[in-house]
Amino acid sequence: MPGFDFSNHTRNAALHARGVPLPKATSTGTTIVGCIFEGGVVIAADTRATSGPIVADKNCEKLHYIAPQIWCAGAGTAADTEFTTALISSQLELHALSTGRKPRVVTCMTMLKQHLFRYQGHIGAYLVVAGVDPTGVGLFTVHAHGSTDKLPYVTMGSGSLAAMSVFETQWKSQMTEQEAIDLASNAIQAGIFNDLGSGSNVDVAIITKDKTTLKRGYVKPNERSKKQKSYVFKRGTTAVLNEKVITKQEISKYVTVHELEGGEPALAEKMDIDV
Amino acid sequence: MEFGTSGMLNEDGIHVDMDRLKKGEVNLGTSIMAITFKDGVILGADSRTTTGAYIANRVTDKLTQVHDTIWCCRSGSAADTQAVADIVQYQLAMYGTMNGKPPTTQTAAAMFQELCYENKDRLSAGLIIAGWDERHGGQVYSIPAGGSLHKQAYSIGGSGSTYIYGYCDANWKEGMEESQAVDFVKGALQEAIKWDGSSGGVIRMVVLTKKGANRHLYLPDSDYKIRHQ
Amino acid sequence: MTSIGTGYDLSNSVFSPDGRNFQVEYAVKAVENGGTSIGIRCKDGVVLAVEKVITSKLLKPGANKRIATIDRHMGAVSSGLVPDGRHFVSRAREEASSWRKVYKSPISTSDLASRMGGYLQAYTLYSSVRPFGITAIVAGWDSEVETPVDAQVGNGPSIGSGGKAEGKKYGGPGLYMIEPSGIYWGYYGAATGKGRQTAKAELEKLDLAAGTLSLEDGVKEAARIIYVAHDDNKDKEFELEMTWISNLEGPTKGRHQEVPKELLEEAERLAKKALEGDDDDEETTDKPEDKMEE
Repeated sequence: MPGFDFSNHTRNAALHARGVPLPKATSTGTTIVGCIFEGGVVIAADTRATSGPIVADKNCEKLHYIAPQIWCAGAGTAADTEFTTALISSQLELHALSTGRKPRVVTCMTMLKQHLFRYQGHIGAYLVVAGVDPTGVGLFTVHAHGSTDKLPYVTMGSGSLAAMSVFETQWKSQMTEQEAIDLASNAIQAGIFNDLGSGSNVDVAIITKDKTTLKRGYVKPNERSKKQKSYVFKRGTTAVLNEKVITKQEISKYVTVHELEGGEPALAEKMDIDV
Repeated sequence: MEFGTSGMLNEDGIHVDMDRLKKGEVNLGTSIMAITFKDGVILGADSRTTTGAYIANRVTDKLTQVHDTIWCCRSGSAADTQAVADIVQYQLAMYGTMNGKPPTTQTAAAMFQELCYENKDRLSAGLIIAGWDERHGGQVYSIPAGGSLHKQAYSIGGSGSTYIYGYCDANWKEGMEESQAVDFVKGALQEAIKWDGSSGGVIRMVVLTKKGANRHLYLPDSDYKIRHQ
Repeated sequence: MTSIGTGYDLSNSVFSPDGRNFQVEYAVKAVENGGTSIGIRCKDGVVLAVEKVITSKLLKPGANKRIATIDRHMGAVSSGLVPDGRHFVSRAREEASSWRKVYKSPISTSDLASRMGGYLQAYTLYSSVRPFGITAIVAGWDSEVETPVDAQVGNGPSIGSGGKAEGKKYGGPGLYMIEPSGIYWGYYGAATGKGRQTAKAELEKLDLAAGTLSLEDGVKEAARIIYVAHDDNKDKEFELEMTWISNLEGPTKGRHQEVPKELLEEAERLAKKALEGDDDDEETTDKPEDKMEE
C-alpha cells in the first residue's frame, strides 16, 4: 500500500493507554540562582543532572555562555537549555556584529522569551539571564512558556524554594561582590542539601563591567572522602574452579598477532596523513 | 497539551475546558482594576505571580505601558499577556511615528481586541486597557477571555475581583478627585488581597492625566498607608 | 525644451537631463482635457461637483455617476481618464476598509489622501506602468464627536470620561486634491479639469478661508461655478452631478450622499440665472499657466 504508515503511532497510543510511560528526557532537577550587587551580578548553579531517579552526571555545567558579559543559568530539560542558549548566543553575536555594539541583557531576554513563547512551553528551558551591558546590570528569569521577571535576586529549578528561603532571610541591598557570591553560594547549597533533584558542587559566574569570572566548583561540599579501610578483595578470595591456557598459535587462526619491540607503543592501526 | 481539543458537544450541551492554563504555566492569579476620575484614569494591581502554589514573584509589575499615556493591566497567563502587550506596544509605536500623532486609547483597545479575539483558542488573557488622550480624556476598556471589548467607567478583573464587586459598586462615584480615586482603588485592592489567596504583595498604581503617567507604590509593611514611589 | 523627441518622454521612471518626468506631464495633459471637477470646503460640510460632457444623445441622464463613495463619510471625484478614476476609487475603498480592519475606526480624510498620494506616486517609478491620467478631489467629514470602537460591545458608560483638554475642537470637513505625480494638498476650494482656471478664479472670490460659507450656499456656488466654467465650452451639452457631506447635525448626518433632486434643480436654476446676468463680462480665457515649455 502506498502512502504513510501510521501503525507505530497506533501502537504507541495503545501502549501509552495501558500505562507504559513515555521515555524520559534528562532533566536538570536543579537549583539555580542569580543576585545583583554593587557594580555587577552573580549567578550560581548546582552540578547534578538526573534522569528519573538516576544521577546522570555528578558534575555537569549549568552555567551557559551567551556573550562575554552575558551568562545564563539553565534549569528544566538539559538538551533544551543547552540548545536554546547556544542558539540565542549565536544570534546575539551576529546581532552585535551587525550593529557594532555590545549585546544587551534585555535583548537576550527578549530573544529568549520570543523563542520560548513560539514553542508554547514545549521547549522546557527555565533560565536565569544575567549580565552587564552599556546600560548597566541586568538580571531576569525566563520561564519555558515565555514569561519573564526582573528582580534583584532570583531562583529557579526544583531547589528554588530552598534557595529562595536563603535569599528572603539574608539578602540586603547594595551588597559587595564577595557578599553576593557567598549569598548565592549559600542559596545553591540550600538546594544541594534540601532538594533531591539538586546535588554535588556549586558553580559560580561573576560578571562586572570589566570582566567575567567563571568559578567552576567554587564550593565542593560533596567530595568523596578517603575510605577508612580498604575494601579490595584479597587474592584468592574467589575459588578457582578450572584453568585453561590459550596460546598465541591458537588465537592466530582468528587474528594477526604482532610481536612488540621494547618501548614501541601499541598502535591499533596506522594512518597516513596528507601534509 | 492539556487543552485545545476539549470543546465537545454532548446531549446536555457544549463542554469547554474553562481551566485553560497550560500545565506548569506562570499564572497571574490577580486583582487588577482601572477607573476613570475627574482628570483621567487610574490603573491598579496587586503584585503576586504564581506557579501552582508557589509565588514565583511577589513584587510583579502587572501594569504595563504600551504608549506614553496608554497602559494595560494584565491577568491570566504571564507569558501570553506579556507577548500580547509587547506586540501592541510595537504596533502603537509604529502608529505614532507613521501618522505623526499619538494613538488614542480606542486604537490601542482595538489592537488588543484583535489579537485576543483572533487567538482566543491559544490565549488565556484578561486585560484592562486604560489611557488618557486630549480628545477623549481618561478611558477604560475591558477585554475579558474570549476577546470581546467593553467600554466602561471603571473595570475590575482577575481572580480577586470577585470579592470586590460589592465594594466597587457601593463606593465608586463619577468624577472623583485624584486623592479620592487613589483611596478608592487602594481600598478595593486591599479587600481583594485580603480575601483572594492568589492575590497579594504590594499595591501598584499608575495615574494617567494630561501631566503624563505617575506611579504609586504601597507596601503591606505599612498596611498600604504610606506611598513609597 | 530640447529633451522632447529625444526619447526621454517614452518611458516612465526616466528623467530628462533637465530633471523632468515627461510621462507625468503627459498625464497632466490628459487631466486638462477632462470635464471640470470641483470641491468646496464649507463650515458645516463639503460639496463635490462635476461637469459631465454628454458624448451621446443615447446616454441615459443621471445613470452614469462620476462621484463615488469611498467610505460612509467620504467621497471622491476625478477629471481625466474615467477608467483611471474608477481604479482610484477602488483602491481608495480598499485603503478605507483596511484602515477600519486594523484600527476599528473610520479613516480620516488626511490619512486617506496620504495613502492615495503614496499609491499614485508609485505609478511614476516603474517602466511597466504609466501614471494615473487623473487628478482626484477627495472630500470627507471627520466626526466631530467621539465615536465608539467598531468592535466594541454595547454603548459604554452613560457618563463621560474625565480629563479632556477643554475648548478644543476635533474633526470637521476635509478636502484634498491628488495629482498624477502623487502630490496632494489640502484645499478650501479645489478645481481640476478643462475649466479649472475659470473655476479657481470663481472659488477665490468666495473667501472660503474665512469659514463662513454654509453647506447649502456651497452647493449653490458649486453649481454656479460648474456652469460658469462650462461657458467656454458652450457648444457641448453637459450634466451636473453633485454630492455633499454635512456635519452630524446637518442634512446628511456625516455621510457622503447625492445632493437631493430638489436642491440640485434649485441650484441649477440659480446658476443659469446668474450666468445670464453676467454674460457681458467675458474675460475668462484659458491662461497658459500650466503649459509645457519647449
